[in-house]
Amino acid sequence: MILAVLFANVEGNILIERFHGVPAEERLHWRSFLVKLGADNLKGAKNEELLVACHKSVYIVYTVLGDVSIYVVGKDEYDELALSEVIFVITSAVKDVCGKAPTERLFLDKYGRICLCLDEIVWKGYLENTEKDRIKRLIRLKPPTEF
Amino acid sequence: MAQPLVKKDDDRDDEAEYSPFLGIEKGAVLQEARVFNDPQLDARRCSQVITKLLYLLNQGDTFTKIEATEVFFAVTKLFQSRDLGLRRMVYLIIKELSPSSDEVIIVTSSLMKDMNSKTDMYRANAIRVLCRITDGTLLTQIERYLKQAIVDKNPVVASAALVSGIHLLQTNPEIVKRWSNEVQEAVQSRAPLVQFHALALLHQIRQNDRLAVSKLVTSLMRGTVRSPLAQCLLIRYTSQVIWESGNNTQSGDRPFYDFLESCLRHKSEMVIFEAARAITELNGVTSRELTPAITVLQLFLSSSKPVLRFAAVRTLNKVAMKHPMAITNCNIDMESLISDQNRSIATLAITTLLKTGNESSVDRLMKQITNFMSDIADEFKIVVVEAIRSLCLKFPLKYRSLMNFLSNILREEGGFDYKKAIVDSIVILIRDIPDAKESGLLHLCEFIEDCEFTYLSTQILHFLGVEGPKTSDPSKYIRYIYNRVHLENATVRASAVSTLAKFGAAVDELKPRIFVLLRRCVFDSDDEVRDRATLYQNTLGGDGSVVETDKDVKDFLFGSFDVPLVNLETSLKNYEPSEEPFDINAVPRESSAPVELTEAETEYAVNVVKHIFDKHVVFQYNCTNTIPEQLLEDVIVIVDASEAEEFSEVFSKPLRSLPYDSPRQTFVAFEKPEGLATVGKFSNILKFIVKEVDPSTGEAEEDSVEDEYQLEDLDVVAADYILKVGVSNFRNAWESLGDDFERVDEYGLGPRESLAEAVNAVINLLGMQPCEGTEVVPPNSRSHTCLLSGVYIGNIKVLVRLSFGLDGPKDVAMKLAVRSEDESVSDAIHEIVGSG
Repeated sequence: MILAVLFANVEGNILIERFHGVPAEERLHWRSFLVKLGADNLKGAKNEELLVACHKSVYIVYTVLGDVSIYVVGKDEYDELALSEVIFVITSAVKDVCGKAPTERLFLDKYGRICLCLDEIVWKGYLENTEKDRIKRLIRLKPPTEF
Repeated sequence: MAQPLVKKDDDRDDEAEYSPFLGIEKGAVLQEARVFNDPQLDARRCSQVITKLLYLLNQGDTFTKIEATEVFFAVTKLFQSRDLGLRRMVYLIIKELSPSSDEVIIVTSSLMKDMNSKTDMYRANAIRVLCRITDGTLLTQIERYLKQAIVDKNPVVASAALVSGIHLLQTNPEIVKRWSNEVQEAVQSRAPLVQFHALALLHQIRQNDRLAVSKLVTSLMRGTVRSPLAQCLLIRYTSQVIWESGNNTQSGDRPFYDFLESCLRHKSEMVIFEAARAITELNGVTSRELTPAITVLQLFLSSSKPVLRFAAVRTLNKVAMKHPMAITNCNIDMESLISDQNRSIATLAITTLLKTGNESSVDRLMKQITNFMSDIADEFKIVVVEAIRSLCLKFPLKYRSLMNFLSNILREEGGFDYKKAIVDSIVILIRDIPDAKESGLLHLCEFIEDCEFTYLSTQILHFLGVEGPKTSDPSKYIRYIYNRVHLENATVRASAVSTLAKFGAAVDELKPRIFVLLRRCVFDSDDEVRDRATLYQNTLGGDGSVVETDKDVKDFLFGSFDVPLVNLETSLKNYEPSEEPFDINAVPRESSAPVELTEAETEYAVNVVKHIFDKHVVFQYNCTNTIPEQLLEDVIVIVDASEAEEFSEVFSKPLRSLPYDSPRQTFVAFEKPEGLATVGKFSNILKFIVKEVDPSTGEAEEDSVEDEYQLEDLDVVAADYILKVGVSNFRNAWESLGDDFERVDEYGLGPRESLAEAVNAVINLLGMQPCEGTEVVPPNSRSHTCLLSGVYIGNIKVLVRLSFGLDGPKDVAMKLAVRSEDESVSDAIHEIVGSG
């Protein structure tokens, strides 16, 4: 299960958070834990460089893309390797929508589309789509090219 | 189409960044949502408003029920628009709003229309939305379309239906299981993702059918798997099949091993790791099977990608727990990971090295770890401390450097859990390594001089009281203990007083000095501290009178309670202040875990707790009425004890009334021969009066009917009379008990599933406490020794040594040695095993 996908800006403010199967009372804890993890480790990280951590039986893969840091949390079959796949799809889709690694402003300008991309990528905690070109078409309700 | 809220060129990046959502307010956005009701829809504007709603939701904002309903109803109007971008947004926002079941109806017809649309993408999205918001009744209506969609030519439509199936399986398994033919077909799809999703769903549908899973796995191994994700699933299911097919290593090659091994050469890293992990986790894996997996993992240790290093070291860390020798080749690579920037990787590397290192590398390793400890978080430090504790137990000769390490980190900053882990480790080392005792106790003494955690201070004081008097120079600890009486809070002061008394009782030379100190404590500001000081002065005979014998004093101070504290606490809470004093003999000496007497999901749920006393057994029946339309009255359990001849019923306490969903208790008490472990079988019938309840008013009707309900039988077994009480050092306890009442015999346990299963069965049969982790049987063992301890009825200590051996392929033989303080108890243990 992919438990959470979270986007934050440089100051650690949440831009998007989506939880799956995480009780409401635990979300605040996760949010602050992830933001702190990023503040401690993402300084000086290169764009799309993947960092990894584990917390009890839960895995976290996170990265920075422009002004935005991205965190993906998973457990069981979504271990650090599967999560790397998920975060790779997410960063490619975001770059595609924004045309480059986004500034915070650019990210917010494209907010609606990014939400649509996420909707195509993660379906209630499961990975659904993995190719950015297909995702790009799907969010415009266009069928995939290979079809 | 979804448009950006503010049109903006890339070359404006340098301008001051401000959020397009600056000052966004929920109330204002909800007002704006009124545009959804316009007769002439402005698609772009509507998309913008939906984006704002999404932003609010994604920020963790919530809508009230009324707000959500209003927005949802307005959004449904947007189905009139033919704008593709807007339609896509509408699908998303409906899922996010997750309308309640009574509202869903508004949007169902629009979605059903889209589900049959010629536009593929409408179909795919409508399926996803419907499955998110649907309930069982609607699902039967759309099932036909979903089955078609699973085999749709468009991979997006097929995937949408399959992933929906995975979710719906949780809530409506019967319906989804009917789709297995279509899902089976989708597994053969040429589209990689469709195959991935279909495989996941098919496995979930068939997971309880071993043969079907085995067939599925075999056919896919021969066919083509089109995505690494699906390949990972296949590997996972394969290892499950291997695991379920049992351990065939002795009879030849393991089935499917070649497949796993071939996956180690796959081009995707994810697949390689999955295969390597599957191999390392094989039950009873041999070193020949392990080698190729360890080799690929070793290569990943020096990868430039942190995720791969992490995955490799995490897997090797797990391997180290069972097969430390298999990965010694990786030690050099792992040592370089100690300085890895990623602390998770470094910690895993260190703890792995601590498991695989040999005695000569300990000092070098400790030096490296000392530098590393200062810059990691507490949670990692705890892992390291635990690893060091096991290392020290493995190499007792190295206790000096390891104990020094622990005492150094004990002085540094750290939270409660971390400090507790260190203190626990030092205590264990003191108990298990006699040479480490004196230095360890002094480290603990120094720690409590400046310890901010009351819990730890009291634990250490208690431990000092037990161990300190047995050292060569007990007087040197007194100063540390007495300092607590001056400097600490009341809880710690009270503990310190008790500890002082223990020194007084155990060391005669110290007794006069302890009296002086205890006399000072009588003026403490806290009543508990004063009471304890007075009590101990009297017990030790400080006022000149000899109140009790030396043995009584020691029993009082050092003896353990013969009733479990939880039972004492419950009894004290139930005690109502009256003329009659609280009677400690009325506290059950043992209470069993609840035993279910009804199956799950029946009308009445009943479980029973057995409370054991010296002369009595009390059954506490916990009853729950699960029917809202019924009120039960005069509920009682009629117990037939004809198969429990030595028990006679003395008392029963019925339950006046048992309303719906509020668990209550009824009791039945039996008398039994005093001090004996009497066994028997009891059959139970629940008897009661039923009254119908009007669900609308909640009032019960006057008319009532008598009824009864058969419950499962209940056994009182010998294990119920044995308290699980552990000993810290089994060998010492075994030797000090002596062989006067030792009874040894051998038993054949017949064919067993595994050695571990046999060990577990005997532990459960005896109901004793396994010691020193001996309940765990290493895989592939042909023999095993398990140590148990307990206290038998009559407060008699009993220790058991079980030696198991495999006799032939599956037959288990067992040697049982019992030592106790009473020969009849030693015999009784053999009887339990003989008749079990």
